Amino acid sequence: MSKECKGRALWWDLQRALLIALLAVVVGLAVNSQLLWRVLSGQTLNSVTTSVDGSTETILPLPVELAEVRELQDSTTLLIDARSRTAFAEGHLPAARSLPRGEEVAGVGALQAEVPLSTPIIVYCSGYDCNDSFALAEILIAAGYQQVRIFEGGFPEWQDAGLPVEGAQP
Amino acid sequence: MTSWRTMLYHGSRCLLGALFCYAGLVKALDVVAFAGSVANYQVLPYQLNFLVAALLPYVELAAGVLLLLGRQVRPAVLLIAGMNAVFMVALLSVILRGLDIDCGCFRPGGEGHTSAQMALLRDAGIMLLALVTWLGAGRRNG
Repeated sequence: MSKECKGRALWWDLQRALLIALLAVVVGLAVNSQLLWRVLSGQTLNSVTTSVDGSTETILPLPVELAEVRELQDSTTLLIDARSRTAFAEGHLPAARSLPRGEEVAGVGALQAEVPLSTPIIVYCSGYDCNDSFALAEILIAAGYQQVRIFEGGFPEWQDAGLPVEGAQP
Repeated sequence: MTSWRTMLYHGSRCLLGALFCYAGLVKALDVVAFAGSVANYQVLPYQLNFLVAALLPYVELAAGVLLLLGRQVRPAVLLIAGMNAVFMVALLSVILRGLDIDCGCFRPGGEGHTSAQMALLRDAGIMLLALVTWLGAGRRNG
């Protein structure tokens, strides 16, 4: 095949590749339109999986990034620290409330008595390798809280960004 | 093409196709978990993580299915090589920034842990498979 023919064939392949990608994107948009609409418009913060008969099966917490946690810090949003009491005492995000894994039964009960179910909540723990924030967020959602998100970067990301920490040892 | 070349071409095509079908399917079935995996890279704004998580699996699936069917092989390989190159740049940035995250390549949501270094090595292997498939498809066409 001549160089010119090869170049033309490559251009043709590229065009078809883009067309395939475009079709796949359209399918992806159609399948996930509801979720994307909720996320992009910020209407609902939790992900709801609905079964065929329309009943809600599972609700999953969505992630939130550091910049948004900072913005929401002074609002009505409640920050919950899912790490141990010791780790919390050594340092935590300003105004955060401690609710460690293992104490969630009593902790969530107390929370329900004080904090309305409509309150936005952000749960965090020890960073990306820590699953406690996700597990606690699921429990909070099951307890009726409607706006629960997880800050996956957690305390390490907050600290690494040089942001103020409460309760830190000198 | 000689028989061993034919076998190599079909083997790499099917392996690559199956790999991307699987990767696309597991991500498409759990978009939220995959969005979390994308967010772990700390590259995109919050909403864009969901957009990528909602769309990327379908591009992977489309390329994988076409490779398995042996249709539009060269465009499908181009798509896979393009996506793989982007993944490799993202993984390299993870290594350079010292982030300890799961790559989210095949199991979104962090079930199990594949380091960025391992994922980068795997992506290099995928790139090699793509090259073999591309050359094989070129010979068949040419």
